[in-house]
Amino acid sequence: MTTHDDTIAYDAFLTVSAALTGYNAAELQATGCAAEYWHHVQQVLPEDILKKFLSPAPRLGKKDDDKIIRESYLPDRCLGPVARSLIQLWYTGQWVPLPQEWRENYGASRFDVVKIISTRAYKEGLVWDAIGAHPQGAKQQGFGAWSLEPPKQRGQADDRNS
Amino acid sequence: MTAIPDDERCYDVVIVGAGFAGGILAKELVSEGHSVLILEAGEDHGKTWETYRSYLDQYYLSLAKTPNSPYPNLPTLPSPSVLDITAVRGTEPDTNGYFVQRGPLPFGSNYLMAYGGTSLHWLGTSLRMMPADFEMQSRFGLGVDWPFKYDDLKKDYERAEWEIGVSADAVEQTPKALGIKTSGPKDSNDYFAKDYDYPMHSIPSSYVDEFFARADGMAIEVGEDASDTVHLKVSRTPQGRNSTPRSPKNGQGIPVGDEVRKQFQPRGATGPFAYMGQRCEGNSSCIPICPIQAKYNAMKTLEDANHIGKSLMETITQAIASKVELDENGRVSGITYKKYPFPGVPQYELRRARGKHYVLAGGAVENVTLALASGICKSSDELGRNLMDHPYMMTWGAAPEPVGPFRGPGSTSSYANFRDGGFRDKTAAFRLEIGNWGWNFAAGSPNSDVARLVEQENLYGSALRDKLYHDVQRQVRLGTLVEQLPRSTNRITIDPAYRTPMGEYRPVISYDLDDYSRAGLAAAYEACVRIFQRLGIKNHTAYSPSDAGYFTYEGKGYTFFGAGHLVGTHRIGTHKSNSVTNDQMRSWDHDNLWLVGAGSMPTIATSNPTLTLSAMVYRAARAITAAVREGGAK
Ligand SMILES: Cc1cc2nc3c(=O)[nH]c(=O)nc-3n(C[C@H](O)[C@H](O)[C@H](O)COP(=O)(O)OP(=O)(O)OC[C@H]3O[C@@H](n4cnc5c(N)ncnc54)[C@H](O)[C@@H]3O)c2cc1C
Ligand code: SF4
Repeated sequence: MTTHDDTIAYDAFLTVSAALTGYNAAELQATGCAAEYWHHVQQVLPEDILKKFLSPAPRLGKKDDDKIIRESYLPDRCLGPVARSLIQLWYTGQWVPLPQEWRENYGASRFDVVKIISTRAYKEGLVWDAIGAHPQGAKQQGFGAWSLEPPKQRGQADDRNS
Repeated sequence: MTAIPDDERCYDVVIVGAGFAGGILAKELVSEGHSVLILEAGEDHGKTWETYRSYLDQYYLSLAKTPNSPYPNLPTLPSPSVLDITAVRGTEPDTNGYFVQRGPLPFGSNYLMAYGGTSLHWLGTSLRMMPADFEMQSRFGLGVDWPFKYDDLKKDYERAEWEIGVSADAVEQTPKALGIKTSGPKDSNDYFAKDYDYPMHSIPSSYVDEFFARADGMAIEVGEDASDTVHLKVSRTPQGRNSTPRSPKNGQGIPVGDEVRKQFQPRGATGPFAYMGQRCEGNSSCIPICPIQAKYNAMKTLEDANHIGKSLMETITQAIASKVELDENGRVSGITYKKYPFPGVPQYELRRARGKHYVLAGGAVENVTLALASGICKSSDELGRNLMDHPYMMTWGAAPEPVGPFRGPGSTSSYANFRDGGFRDKTAAFRLEIGNWGWNFAAGSPNSDVARLVEQENLYGSALRDKLYHDVQRQVRLGTLVEQLPRSTNRITIDPAYRTPMGEYRPVISYDLDDYSRAGLAAAYEACVRIFQRLGIKNHTAYSPSDAGYFTYEGKGYTFFGAGHLVGTHRIGTHKSNSVTNDQMRSWDHDNLWLVGAGSMPTIATSNPTLTLSAMVYRAARAITAAVREGGAK
């Protein structure tokens, strides 16, 4: 069903997602949500914008990530809001709709509404790992785990993405 | 009215409501061999594991994870929601939500209409009251005295603790051990009966609790009298969630009520997955839903009642009790109810349930709307008055180091020091609950942190991840629960202009905080600030005049919420002129009618009310049993 181009685009989506979230592509895939999010982003973004959004992918994951993200994504009127919504999607499982102004300029989608994508998306939100906890209501840590010293912050050594 | 068909069977006792009160009462009555019918307005959420799981999924998918969020809000049966609370302005009542709010302040509490009642999303805090709490009038000249004392309820507290399955250690829970300077010199003596202990050991303290315990011993003045100064102590909270059962000393058993009980058997989830939830696993979502039912809910007791009662026990869900009918002698002759076959579709069949005795156990608000709609219990004019809650104020900040929030039950400890003392003649008593879930209730964390760091601080990637760890790991929150006095003007009424789609009366609520409670809240805030100063916590608390629950006291502004502790609306008392029922919860006006639940409590004090209301149900159960046996004559 997937063509070669689809696979390339999907990989690019993971590469951009990894750069934006600070979690590597393998970690993102391990959430089991990557395909869902990819599908969602495709539904929300017009094709040309999606293409533009993914175009820096080949240059990412090397040395200049910060420069690329700070220059090409975050301050960009079109890509900035998309990047911010995508980061939040990965972190919380919830799609944050694009600003009204963005929609007027670049096109509105009926899928661009506030929503927790799925029960899995909620449970796999990266925020829970980032804060050293577990999703409330899932992946319980066991009796008395709350008494233990909090987990340490992930060190540079663990930081496979940078 | 056209003839309403009577149900075929006439029961010994008809109970309205399948929550804590209805569940315990049913279990007691069928154990005595009486036949019982429960009418429950809501749906059955626990019949199959699939239904319960689907509520968990609904929780995952809810944008605002409020107490009622996992459960369906049926147009047929609206429940109050915290999302509906807005400031009441001008003279028009606020009709946003299910409650019609007359103000001047909004009543911010909620409850759940479902099989199991509000137990499905309660937190589980299970405190006994203090001896002083039963004697507010004689000790402080405030409020009213109860018609009985702490000692008279002690055995029933034991029974309730063993029914709910409370985890705590008695040695840690006497007023003295909690660091309370009681207003009576002997209040701590015999607070627990000799050899009594809770069924399960205390739930372990959280890492957050241990952090706060570093302030232990610090002196805090309350009120004007130097002798009222308390020395802070973090103490573990008795909780209705499963931990490790206690082995009785020397195999002797533990005296509970009038019997000696063997080791407690924790009950897990209801239905076919009973092996789940035999111990709390730290799902950290007790409000609104415990995925494994390690937290007590009334479905467990109801299941016992079905098991013990067999054909004596009958429950009809999706059946809204609509009118209590009287015969010419003022005795109840039946309760008409609306049985709706399809949740969400306001179509129903009107039927009549019949029994020898009738009990309203629908919660402090719904008992009143039903009684008012039926024109009963009028002689004292107390019905619906004296509505109390624990105005709940949050104080939050950033600790100087990671404290490991968002793990474990919502709260495992508190500063109980302020629950009683000489200061109580002028300043309301309070308890400072230590929150384990960061700024979740206070500020919508951790999602709000993600939004803030991404949208405002322009972070991404590992810097975002690290900053999230940094900020959220330091989040601490104290919650103040302050007492309210019974005030006749804080009340529930009904008005034909406000009804549900099923034609039932919506509660119309007038509510305010008096200066006594405001003084308590102000003193609590001051105590929190001092604790923050002592522990190096940066105060992030923000109260805004635009908050629905904003109020001022001595020139300063604060914000309060509801605690879900609805108390006082059909209080017990010594005489038909001062109360709705006698001290056994039997209506003064209608010989075979009883009202149970937290509405029966004359004062609220500082304990979350459910353990007390549950204990009181045992008292009522004995009296109802006697009355049924007598054949109903007084
Ligand atoms: C978020 C939250 C957290 C809480 N945490 C705690 C805590 O930690 N500790 C504590 O002590 N308390 C806590 N409480 C309070 C506690 O939930 C209540 O005190 C308790 O549920 C009251 O028990 P009840 O049986 O009287 O009423 P409920 O549990 O409310 O049950 C009443 C039942 O009656 C039914 N009913 C009502 N009217 C009718 C009618 N007309 N016909 C048929 N059925 C009807 C309802 O549908 C419901 O099922 C909390 C409350 C909330 C909201
Ligand atoms: S912490 Fe989790 S397992 Fe324990 S009672 Fe709360 S929700 Fe249930």
